[in-house]
Amino acid sequence: MELLQYTLRKLIAGIPLIFGVTFISFLLMVYFGPDKTYDLLGKNPTEQQIAEIRSELGYDQPFVARYFNYVTELATLNFGRSESTGEKVSDLLARTIPVSLALVTPGFVLGNLFGVLLALFAASRRGSWVDKTIMGCSAVGMSISFLIAIIAFQLVFSSSYGLGWFPVRGWNIHSPLDYLRYVTVPTLATVFVALGYNTRFYRAVIVEELSRDHVRTAKAFGVSPAKILSVHVLKNCAIPIITRVVFSIPFIVISGSLLLETYFGIPGVGKVAFDAITTGNQPVLKAVVGLTAVLFVLAQILTDILYRVADPRVSLN
Amino acid sequence: MAMWRFIGTVTLSSLLLACSASDDAGNSRAAVNDKKVFRYAMGGSPTSLDPVQSGNAYANVIVSNVFDTLYNYKYLARPPELKPGLAEAMPEVSDDGLVYTIPLKQGVLFADDPAFPGGKGREVTAADFVYSIKRHFDPTTRPQGAWLWQDRIKGLDEWKAAGSDYSAEIAGLRAVDPYTVRIELTRPYPQLLYTLAMGFSAVVPAEAVETYGREFGIRPVGSGAFRLESFNTAKAVLLPNSNYRDEPFNLIEEGYDPATQAYTRVAELEGRSPPFLDRLEIDFIQEGSALWSSFTKGDEVQMASLPDEQVEFVLDSTRPVILKPEFAEKYQLATGPEAGFVYSNFNLDFPEMGYNPDPERNARNKALRCAVIRSFDWPARNDSFYMGLGQVFPGVIPPGVPEFDEAMPRDSVTRDVAYAKQLLADNGWTPDNLPTLTYGTVAGVKSRLFFEQFRAFLKDIGYPSEKVVLKRYATFGDIVRAWSRSELPFVSKGWGLDYPDAENTLQLFYGPNASPGSNDANYANPKYDALFEQAATMAPSDERTAIYRQMNQMLVDDCVAVTGLTRMRITLWHNNVIAVPDSSIVGGGFLRYVDVD
Repeated sequence: MELLQYTLRKLIAGIPLIFGVTFISFLLMVYFGPDKTYDLLGKNPTEQQIAEIRSELGYDQPFVARYFNYVTELATLNFGRSESTGEKVSDLLARTIPVSLALVTPGFVLGNLFGVLLALFAASRRGSWVDKTIMGCSAVGMSISFLIAIIAFQLVFSSSYGLGWFPVRGWNIHSPLDYLRYVTVPTLATVFVALGYNTRFYRAVIVEELSRDHVRTAKAFGVSPAKILSVHVLKNCAIPIITRVVFSIPFIVISGSLLLETYFGIPGVGKVAFDAITTGNQPVLKAVVGLTAVLFVLAQILTDILYRVADPRVSLN
Repeated sequence: MAMWRFIGTVTLSSLLLACSASDDAGNSRAAVNDKKVFRYAMGGSPTSLDPVQSGNAYANVIVSNVFDTLYNYKYLARPPELKPGLAEAMPEVSDDGLVYTIPLKQGVLFADDPAFPGGKGREVTAADFVYSIKRHFDPTTRPQGAWLWQDRIKGLDEWKAAGSDYSAEIAGLRAVDPYTVRIELTRPYPQLLYTLAMGFSAVVPAEAVETYGREFGIRPVGSGAFRLESFNTAKAVLLPNSNYRDEPFNLIEEGYDPATQAYTRVAELEGRSPPFLDRLEIDFIQEGSALWSSFTKGDEVQMASLPDEQVEFVLDSTRPVILKPEFAEKYQLATGPEAGFVYSNFNLDFPEMGYNPDPERNARNKALRCAVIRSFDWPARNDSFYMGLGQVFPGVIPPGVPEFDEAMPRDSVTRDVAYAKQLLADNGWTPDNLPTLTYGTVAGVKSRLFFEQFRAFLKDIGYPSEKVVLKRYATFGDIVRAWSRSELPFVSKGWGLDYPDAENTLQLFYGPNASPGSNDANYANPKYDALFEQAATMAPSDERTAIYRQMNQMLVDDCVAVTGLTRMRITLWHNNVIAVPDSSIVGGGFLRYVDVD
């Protein structure tokens, strides 16, 4: 009951946030975003044709009316149709978000999991050559751009100049084996880049936890290092880990990964969102921005609940 | 333990999700393996596949394979020549050139689709063509091709003004009977047949448009050689249209030239009816490294344009274009100029460098523009950005059209720093009084490099670098808006030919086409306009060519634009593919004739 009340309270408290985010983003879209009119026009337009397109796009309506429509669309989850293809935005997102999720989830999970494990390993041997090696590799991982990592992994694992084990491009999946063929190289590239950031972040959290009194006490009582790390340290590090992981989820769901999608020819939501931004495809853009805001509110609620799960001393009140 | 359970659950969920989120609704790989599959790569992706919105060259490639047009370009003829497509024959044209009577083939069927009763494609009739053209004059379809026919077909503009009622007749656009189209023009329009070969004029069935509404752009239904199986941001998959008519391939009729085309093995297609593929996949790949990796993989993309960054790696020589032996063993190659050109306009609306009410300043401005033009180093531009493969030419009639004049003096594309400096000095221009030249471009590394090179050229003639400034636009739509509103004093752009007739490029400087139209130079020369109007109604002839060339020379003499360069396209394909790639002017019509071993 307490959880339900808390969730409802947070949802209501999130409404102003959603209004704020949507209002500011809509303001930017309308007054500073690309004008779709000129993307849709033919080669030799007349003033009349420009006016017709603007009218079709609803650009001739007052700002307030357009914002009201947006809020209504967000409330009903009916964002109309893409101004580029004419496809229903809801269908478009329903088609592309699962692809992006399937693409980035393994990399996200493995990147965080290996990040935590490596961080535990490094932190427990703080100052040793193992720690220095892991941190050095992390710095290398952080320094290499995602784009370079993608090209390098594609070259090594997919192309005929490398091992050629995996497809260069495509997403034609009918079985788990197909999935592994298409997702492996993007996942390797993602993990390679994510590992650097994650390991450094988690190591810092774990090192701080290792210097706390209860860890020193556990050591004095002769508790094994493995148990200290897994029971006393990791559990107490849960809150920053949860925060980092859960707040990354909205980006994964909505943004996908533009670079992975374009280089590997994967029809996810990242390219759709990017195209919407660069061409001023407002229905898609409104859906992406609105849903991201909603997901952040939900992520915030989920984070608080998970805090409570991780640490019963945390009060939902 | 709980963590491992969580990880296991997420991994399993991902697998299940992925299996349910497959890309193509097509066959499994196993089923595809024993079929003829061809993968073609394009450098960009279409947005809508509705013919009324097929202004994008990439959309045109798919539209020209899913839909029929009354006329097509011959597959092998170079330069391009028209032939009947959905039309039974070339049109019967009245003596005054105003009435075109076009017979249609009988028994041509649209592809099967749930939009038709019983899901069976019905016969294509003249009424479908009339309907398809009408759609360009219905603002709710957001058409892009109306400029081709507006003010040219009798009654069409009035039909639109009266509310675009599809049930209302148009005097100049009629289906005389199910197999005859009659077009009556307001004035002769020699380019009409070319427009009837463009994707814009593709024939669509009203039932499908009504059934799918705005989603017709992603669920196109036509009578072309292929039907669309799936389409997304990464690729389009097309399957053969089982209703496609039987039309045996005829080498002679298609314009076969054994001397230049024998190596492509197209002669093996003689007598067979296209399409020859079981599955056509068109990948949209903008990234050069990914394109090259996919092309060289062996079992992925089989035909693509050679990415710029691979030119040195792949070619033994660029003049002539020759592959290195290790690539020549595996791939075929074709080269040809792109149908279009790149150039930069001065916007003459700006009195600082364009038209000025003060006659003296007006003359000085012209001298200034001429000096800028003579400072431009086209060979350096060609070498720096086009691997030296581009074709530099004076004026705006590019090599891709029959009116191109190889003998035209090349002064305007020959750098002469001393002359340019003298021109400035003679007209009283000094570093202090030179106006600021604002160069607009879309934000990007290459655009920035273009600008910096241009600024360096100008510096050589004494134009202070701080007076050549960059104005960046976030997107292409933004810069188009700036051109259309005449907000930019200097416009750098490219133009893709819509048809092989110099009228298509000369109209870029026709007065009535001033901003927001395509004349974003806002060039206003009554003599030029009079010649354009005179030539506009003339059939191709030596006389018309002479007028075109006279207009071209006017543009050069008036120093309106820094022009031009036609890029060279190098297409590679695997040895097991039988194909002759076409230039972009023809769209992707060649894909229906592609075969694989």
